[in-house]
Amino acid sequence: MNRDTKAMKTRQAGRRAARWGIAAAAVLILASASACTSSSSSSTPKTGTSPTSSSSATLAGYPRAQTIYTSGTMYSPPTTWNPFNVGNYATGAQGLIYEPLFLFDPIHNNSYMPWLATSGTWSGSTYTIHVRDNVKWSNGTPLTGADVAYSINLARTNALDPYHANVASVSSATANGNTVTVVFSGAPAYSEFQDFLWEAPIVNQAIWSKVPAAQLITFADNHPVGTGPMLLDTYSATQEAYKLNPGWWGTPQLGLSFKFKYLVDVLNGSNNVELAALSAGQIDWSNNFLPGINQLVSGLGGAGGYGISTFYKNSPYMLSANTAWLEPNTSKAPMSNVNFRKAMAYAINPAQIVSAVYGGIVKAANPTGLLPTLNSYIDSSAVSQYGFSYNPTLAKQYLAKSGYTGQNLTLEVPQGWTDWMAAIQVITSDLQAVGIHVTPTYPQYSARQNDLISGNYDLAIDNNAQLDSSPWSYFQRVYQLPIAAQQTAQLNWERFTSQTDWNLVQQAGTTPLTDTAKLTSIYNQLQSDFLQQLPEIPLWYNGAWFQGNNQYWTNYPSSNSTSNQWTPVMWRNYLGAMTSIYALANLKPAPAPSS
Amino acid sequence: MSIMSGPAKPGSPGPGDATPVGAAPLVAGPVSPAAPATVRRRSDLLYYALHNKKLVFGLGLELLFVLTAIFGPIISPHNLTDYFLSNQPPSAQHWLGTDNLGHDLFAEVTVGMRVSYLVGALGALCAAFVGMVLGFTAGWRGGMVDEFVQMITNVVVMIPALVLLIVIGAYLKTRGVPFEGIFIGLTTWPWVARAVRAQTFTLKQREFVDLARLSGRRAYSIVIRDIAPNMASYLFLVVILLFGASMLLAANFDFLGLGPTTTTSLGNIMNQSTLWSALQLHYWWWFLPPGLLLTGMVAALLIANVGLDEVFNPKLRAQ
Amino acid sequence: MRRYLSRKVLTYLLAFVVGVTIDWGIPHLMPGDPVQLYLSNFSLKPAGYAAMYKMMSQAFGTNLPLWDQYLHYWRGLLTGNWGLSFWDFPAQVSTLIFQALPYTLALLVPAITLSYMLGNRLGAAAARRKVLDNSVLPGGYVLQAMPYPWLALALAFLFGEVWHVFPVSGPYDPGLIPAFSWTFISSLLYHWFLPFFTVFLVSLGGWAIGMRNLVIYELENDSSRYLRALGASERMIRRYAYRNASLPQLSGLALALGVVVGGNIVTEYAFSYPGLGHLIFEAISNEDFFLLQGIFIFIIIGVLVANFIIDIVFVITDPRTRLGMQGGSA
Repeated sequence: MNRDTKAMKTRQAGRRAARWGIAAAAVLILASASACTSSSSSSTPKTGTSPTSSSSATLAGYPRAQTIYTSGTMYSPPTTWNPFNVGNYATGAQGLIYEPLFLFDPIHNNSYMPWLATSGTWSGSTYTIHVRDNVKWSNGTPLTGADVAYSINLARTNALDPYHANVASVSSATANGNTVTVVFSGAPAYSEFQDFLWEAPIVNQAIWSKVPAAQLITFADNHPVGTGPMLLDTYSATQEAYKLNPGWWGTPQLGLSFKFKYLVDVLNGSNNVELAALSAGQIDWSNNFLPGINQLVSGLGGAGGYGISTFYKNSPYMLSANTAWLEPNTSKAPMSNVNFRKAMAYAINPAQIVSAVYGGIVKAANPTGLLPTLNSYIDSSAVSQYGFSYNPTLAKQYLAKSGYTGQNLTLEVPQGWTDWMAAIQVITSDLQAVGIHVTPTYPQYSARQNDLISGNYDLAIDNNAQLDSSPWSYFQRVYQLPIAAQQTAQLNWERFTSQTDWNLVQQAGTTPLTDTAKLTSIYNQLQSDFLQQLPEIPLWYNGAWFQGNNQYWTNYPSSNSTSNQWTPVMWRNYLGAMTSIYALANLKPAPAPSS
Repeated sequence: MSIMSGPAKPGSPGPGDATPVGAAPLVAGPVSPAAPATVRRRSDLLYYALHNKKLVFGLGLELLFVLTAIFGPIISPHNLTDYFLSNQPPSAQHWLGTDNLGHDLFAEVTVGMRVSYLVGALGALCAAFVGMVLGFTAGWRGGMVDEFVQMITNVVVMIPALVLLIVIGAYLKTRGVPFEGIFIGLTTWPWVARAVRAQTFTLKQREFVDLARLSGRRAYSIVIRDIAPNMASYLFLVVILLFGASMLLAANFDFLGLGPTTTTSLGNIMNQSTLWSALQLHYWWWFLPPGLLLTGMVAALLIANVGLDEVFNPKLRAQ
Repeated sequence: MRRYLSRKVLTYLLAFVVGVTIDWGIPHLMPGDPVQLYLSNFSLKPAGYAAMYKMMSQAFGTNLPLWDQYLHYWRGLLTGNWGLSFWDFPAQVSTLIFQALPYTLALLVPAITLSYMLGNRLGAAAARRKVLDNSVLPGGYVLQAMPYPWLALALAFLFGEVWHVFPVSGPYDPGLIPAFSWTFISSLLYHWFLPFFTVFLVSLGGWAIGMRNLVIYELENDSSRYLRALGASERMIRRYAYRNASLPQLSGLALALGVVVGGNIVTEYAFSYPGLGHLIFEAISNEDFFLLQGIFIFIIIGVLVANFIIDIVFVITDPRTRLGMQGGSA
C-alpha cells in the first residue's frame, strides 16, 4: 500500500510539474516569438539618422500621452515601405516618409497646396516645377530638382511604375538646380499629369537608381529614406511605429509641428474588434468602417456622444469618398436597353439603403454620381431635366417599353462585404416590386473582379470612382474606349460604347485646366448625356470613414472646426496626397481630466 | 476545428482507429446473434429504453427542438423578410428582438433551426453511407485493399475541409443547403469508416462468420446479413453522433461566412451578429440565442445517445 | 513485423506525396489564372498590366510549364523557400507562417494537454462514483455540444464586455513593443486567456466523457472480473483499467496534437488572435493560395506524423493489433 501511495504521489507531482512546465513553456514560446518577429529599424545605422535622446527600443512601450494610435488602413502585416507598391505599402510610407509635389485639398474648393514643389506653371507644352529649397532627405542629403526629374523619368520609362500612364505624354524631364522642366510631346494630357503632381512620391535618385528596374515594386525598402515628417521606428507583425523627424522642412517653412512624438498604426482585425478598441480608447484615430458608429456618435444628443468625433456632427457623419453605383453589363440584353436601365434607376430607393443598411453614415448620390466635393461642376438644370429619383410607377412604365421578357438576372457583390451584401438585398426586393427578377450572389472577391474584368456578369455594385480634383477621371471611368475582352484597367466595366462622349472626355483631358469655360461646357454635356443614357446608376456615396476618440487627443478634423478642416483619412492615396498631414498637425492633446 | 468522433471500440482498437474523443463504447460479442434471442432482446430493449432516464430526457428535449423548428416559422407573427425597427431588444412584438436590418429574430432563428437540422441530417446520412461502404470493404478484405482505403482516409483527413470548401465554392455562384450537407458528409466519413473497419475486423474472426464462409456464402451477403446486424446498434449510435457533429461543423463553417447563401442558418446568424458588432454594442439577443439553441440541440442528442448506449449494452446498465 | 512497418512507411510516404500534389494543385484548381486574379485588385492600364503580369509570373513561377512548376514546388519545399504571399506582397510565406506559429502552439498545446489531463481525471473519477457521474457526464456533453463560435462569443461578452476582466482581441495591447518585460508578458497572458479557455472547455468535455466510458468498460471487463476474483485490491484493478483505457485516449491525443498546427480557425477568428488559424482565414478571404499552400504542408506533415506515431505505439503496446493487422483473415 505504501509503495502504491508513494508511486502515485510521485506521479501526481510529476503531472503537476508537467502542467506548470507546459504553462511556462507556452509563455516562453509566446514571448520569444513575438520578440523575434518584431524589428527595430532604428537599431541599424543605415539611414544615418542619429537616435533621439531616448531610444524608443528600450521603452516597454510608447508613452500613451505622447503617442497617437491609428487604425483602418493596414490589413496585412507591415512588410514594405515601398511607395510604388500602391496596394500594400505600410501606412504612412507615403505621407509620413515619402511626399508628393502638391497636396490636393478636396474640402476647400479643390485647390492644390504647394508641398515639395512651391509652384508649377504651364507654358505651351512645357511645365516648370520650382522645387522647394532647404528640404533634406532623412539621411542628410538635400532634395534637389534632380530627384524630382528622376522620379518623373522613372515613371516614364518603367512600365511597372503605377504612375506610368500619368506621364505618358511627357517626353522629357530635366533638372537645373531646383527647377525642373517637363516637356510634353504633342498635346499634353493635363488632367492625367495633374494627378501625378499630387499622387506620385518623390524618391531619392541616389538610392532608387540602384534598384533594378524589374524589382521596382518587390523592393521592400524597410529602411526608407524620405523627406517626410516622421521616421520609421519599430515594426512587428501587428503594428508599426513612427517617431518624429527633427529635420523635417514643414516645421520651419510652414509652421507645422505635431503635438505627439510617436504614431503607432495598428494592424486591423475585423470591424467589430476595431469598434471595441476605439470605444475602449486603445485607438485614437480610426479609419475603419464601424457598423453601428452612428449610435455611438449620436448617443449623447449629437455632441459627440461617448467621446467620439466624426467629420460631420450629423448624418452622413462622414465625408463622401467614392460613388457606389449599380453597374449593368450594357453589352448584354436586357441591360443594353436604355429603358431597362431607367426602369432600374427609378425602381430603387437609395434612402432605404442609407437608413436601414448604413444607419445614415452614407449619403444618397446625386443622379450624376459626382461626389459632393465636385458640386460646383454639377449641372443642376440637366439634373432637374433628366435626373432620376425613386418612383416605382415610372419604373414600371419604362420597364414596359424595355422589352424585358421576365428573365432572371444576377446581381453580384464580393463575399464578406457585409454592408453591400445587405444593400443588394434591399435592391433586389425593390427591383422585384416593379417586376424585375434579380438574384443576389456573393462570389469571392477575386472571382467577382474577374467577372467584371471579363464582362461575365449581369449586374454588380461597384465603387471605383474615387475623390478627385475634377470630373475628368469619373467620366474616363464611364466612357473609356476601346473596350477590350479583358478590361484590366478597371475603366468602362459596364462596357458602354459612346464614341461622342469618349471624344468629349479626351477633349477635356487635353484642355488646359485654366480654360474653365471650355471645361465647364464639356462636363455639362457629359452630364446631360450620362443622365439620359444611364450607363451606370449612381446610388450612394461611400464614406471616408473616420472616427476619433477624444480621450487622449482632441481637435479632430470636423466640418465646422476653425483650425482643423482637413482630410481625416490615413488611407493610401489620402495621407500622402491630400491634406491629412495638416489634420494630424492640428491635433491637440486632450485636457487632463479634472477630478 | 473540433469534430466529435464515433464511439471508441476498445475491443480491438488497431492502428488507424484513432478516434480523438471516445464516446460510448460498445462491446461486441456478448450479445448472442441467434434468432430467438434476438426476438426476446427486442422487447427487452423497448423496456429498457422507456425506463432509461437519459434517453427519455434527451429524446424529449430533442423532440421539443424539432417541433420548434418545424412550427416556429409558422406560428411566428412576422416573416423573415419583413423590415421593422433595427436592434430592438426582445419584447412582446418581437420575441427575440430584431437585428440590424430590422428583421424579426424569432423568425430568423426558427428558420435557421430548420436549416441546421437539414444540413446535419444530410451530412450524417452521407457520411454514414460512404463510411460504411468503405469501412466494411477495408475491414472484410484486409491486406492491400485495407491499406489503400487507409491511404484514402488519410488523404481526406489531411485536406482541410475549409480549403476544399473555398475551392469548390469559387465555382458556384451560390451555395445551397444540399451542397453544405453533402460536403460535410464527404469530409467526415473517415471517422465512420475507421470505426466500422475496426469493428469488422473483430467480428470477422468470430465463429459464425467462419461458418458462413464455409457454407459458401458470398462476402457481400455475409457482411450485410451477419456482420452488420451485430454492429447495428453501434452503427446507429455512430450516426446519431455524426448528426450532432455535422450540425456543429456546419455552424463553424457558417460562422466563418462559408455557409449557405440562399437562406439563413444558426451559424449564419452568429456570423452576421459578429460582423455587425453585436458583441460590442451589447445586442446580446442577437448572438446568444442561436448558439444556445444549437448547444441544446446537440447536447440533447448526445445525452440520448448515452442513454441508447446503456440500453444496448447491459454492462453499462449495471452502473 | 518488418513487412508491416515497411508497408506502413510506404503508405505514409505515398499519402505525403499525394497530399503535397493536391496542395500544389490548389491555386491551379481555382477558376482563372492566379496571377490575373491577384492583379485584378489593381487598376492598371494595358502597358502597366503587361509589365506587372510578367513580373508577377516570374516571381511566382507561373510562367513555366506545369511540370516544371511542380518540380520547383518540391525543390522549394525541401529547401525552405515556400514562395511569396499575395496578400502581403512581397512577404515570404515562411516568414508569415513562423510569425503566426508560436501563437497557435501557445494557445492549443496547453489547452489540449491540460484538458486531456484534467478530463481524464474527471472521467475516471466519474466512472467510479455515481454522484460525480451524474454531474460530470451531462456537463461534459453540454460542453462538447457548444459550438466554438458561440462559446467564444459568450465568454468574450461576459468576461470582456460585461465584467471587463479580460480583453477580447489581439495578442497583446497595441503599442507595446515585444520584449522580455513584465508589462509585455502580462499583456500577452491577459490576451491569451480567453481563447485558451474556450478551446480548453470544449475539449475538456470530450476527454472526460471518453475516459469515463472507457474506464467503465474496462472495470466491467472479463479481465477485471478475473482480477477481482483473485482478490486484487480495487486500487490495483483501477490502475490496470486506467492504463488500458488510456490507450485509445492517447491515440486521440496524438491525433489532436497532430492537427494543432492547423490552428483553431474559429477561435482565433473570434478573438482576432494572430495564430495559424487566423492566417488560414486571412489567406482564404484574400485568396492567397500560395500562403495556403505553405500552411497546409504543415498540417499535412503534422497529421501524417501523428498517425504514424499512433500506429507505432499501438504495434508496440497492443498485441491484439499485431495479430489482427497482419494479413487479415484468420
